[in-house]
Amino acid sequence: MTFSKRSLLPVVCLVLLSLLGCKKEAQDASAPSGKAQAKTTIGVTLLTVQHAFYQDLRTGLQEEADKHGYELLISTGEFDSTRQANQIDEFIVQRVSAIVVSPCDSRSVGASIVQANEAGIPVFTADIASTSKRGKVVSHIASDNRAGGRQAAELLAKALDGTGKVVILSHPEVASVTDRVEGFKERLKDHPGIEIVAELSTQGKRDKAVKVMEDLLQSHPDLTGVFGINDDSALGALAAIEAAGKLGKIKIVGYDATPEARAKIETGAIYGDVIQTPKLIGQLTINAIHGFLNNKPPPSVIPVAVGAYTKESD
Amino acid sequence: MTRKTDGTPVQPRLAAPNPYGTETSSFVTWAVRLRMPIVLALLVIVATILTDGVFARKENLVNVARQISFEALIAFGMTLIITTGGIDLSVGSLVAMTGVVAAIAMRGIGADSASLCILVGLLAGVVVGAGFGTASGTIITRFSLPPFIVTLGGMLIARGLGFIFCSGQPIYEGLPEQLTTLGSGFVLPGLLGKTLPVPVLVMLIGFAVFWLLLARSVFGRSVIAIGSNEEAARLSGIPVRRTKLMVYVLTGGLCGLVGVMHSAKLMAADPKIGEMWELNVIAAVVVGGTSLFGGRGTIPGTLVGALIIGVLNNSLNLLHVQHFWQKVVLGVVILLAALLDAGLSRLGKSR
Repeated sequence: MTFSKRSLLPVVCLVLLSLLGCKKEAQDASAPSGKAQAKTTIGVTLLTVQHAFYQDLRTGLQEEADKHGYELLISTGEFDSTRQANQIDEFIVQRVSAIVVSPCDSRSVGASIVQANEAGIPVFTADIASTSKRGKVVSHIASDNRAGGRQAAELLAKALDGTGKVVILSHPEVASVTDRVEGFKERLKDHPGIEIVAELSTQGKRDKAVKVMEDLLQSHPDLTGVFGINDDSALGALAAIEAAGKLGKIKIVGYDATPEARAKIETGAIYGDVIQTPKLIGQLTINAIHGFLNNKPPPSVIPVAVGAYTKESD
Repeated sequence: MTRKTDGTPVQPRLAAPNPYGTETSSFVTWAVRLRMPIVLALLVIVATILTDGVFARKENLVNVARQISFEALIAFGMTLIITTGGIDLSVGSLVAMTGVVAAIAMRGIGADSASLCILVGLLAGVVVGAGFGTASGTIITRFSLPPFIVTLGGMLIARGLGFIFCSGQPIYEGLPEQLTTLGSGFVLPGLLGKTLPVPVLVMLIGFAVFWLLLARSVFGRSVIAIGSNEEAARLSGIPVRRTKLMVYVLTGGLCGLVGVMHSAKLMAADPKIGEMWELNVIAAVVVGGTSLFGGRGTIPGTLVGALIIGVLNNSLNLLHVQHFWQKVVLGVVILLAALLDAGLSRLGKSR
């Protein structure tokens, strides 16, 4: 920290200035927002930009930020929590007005959040929550995975006319997936004709899903339904079911509606998918920040609705 | 010549004449030699009882054979590598990458001429896989670098390239419908029914070729000699560099072949597949009795090792054992196999 003393002065000035700025903005909230907040910058660090889900989330962030005249500094951790911690450090040095993070590691991100808190910068988490006990997050904006699981149960119950034997292809290491599975089981209680005969892990991978499904077809020849917690699980199950010549006899419900899964839904090989709205997550994140900066504190959790994608739905 | 009946080559530590020469000790020698097949047989019996016979049904046995075929094929190549004292961590990533490359090639040819298309896909996968193995092998032999670190780098490079080649999105359009035979079809279905899956036939051919290669060829002798004592092998005129390079080329080629067959099975090339395969493959090789220190290895042993792990995975799924417990059980079995191997070979030695 050789430069700390010298850099402290401009930093303090910036803090004071930005505080003044905030106050001013808050005072004339009625004024056109574009001009008043032209200098508001938001630091964003995402889990990855390779995944289509995060590309859409990013678009949502950018569109909504443009609307309010916020400047976004977007970086990506690419599954590396150390890199992400460095990015948050840089945002703190740059004195951004708010930080949005999709943690690469739900626990270790706590240390970075504490630093941002100490610097007086509000932190928002999008899609993935911080599970650390340290640090304060203003608001967590994410898909309602439990509702997604309920949606999946509804889809499968409809496909099976309320009766049958189903399996869950799960990935119990991931918190959002456990929520999906819980929601699924919760809603299936309303359909007593449907029995869950097994729940096995595919680790969200297609090659593993094929093997697990092949084994399940052996132990349960009378299976009628599958819930895949993501599309790789659903598509892996489909490959095994197709090879066993049971296409159509076993209904599949997936999650995310990737282009490949949509193609299979069109042909009827997969019955339907729960669909998330990453773009909406991005928009609602910026909205929450906008509210916070204008003295309208957002709720600590903002659940984003999910939908269903079936052959009929388009 | 009892000890040659299972086809494994005579192992030096058992080759010494039995000083006792009694019935009991020859029985012990037998038990020591066949320890892993015995473990497999016990496992099969336990699995059959616990699953109320579901395990032993013909369809499930065919299923298990098909499930192990990909990793077993790669394990045959890995046996050669480990016998030279090396290791290859890039195999799983390479399967994913070659699968993507093959899919791109096939999409380029177009589905109109299906057989040409599949042939080009196979060629692309095998050539690119062998090429990647050539690169790893060359770096290892030219610069005398540890295979662990070279193939660790290769693992990351292959994984990254797989994603780059397909922009992170699985390729599923433009693949010929007939491709599915390669991954989930059966040999002579009219005559044999659903008895011999195509990947299992390919695995059996690979088994025969690599068994002959390791146990019956000059090349195989060189592989074992290098693993026992590289310096001695060099001094006795064995082409050490060329032999070591060759084992990585062969394994890379096998990865390419498996990459194409796996894409055929999924009817999609997914850059995310093959994770942790390197460890499954190494586990099969080591459970099969090949020494991680080199100099000792057999292809039939590797097949038994792959079967042990395959039977275990299958029966745990049939029994719906919870995911986290599956990991524990698999870990314990690998440890037990290693302990049994060490203990029994000491017993064999002491006699």
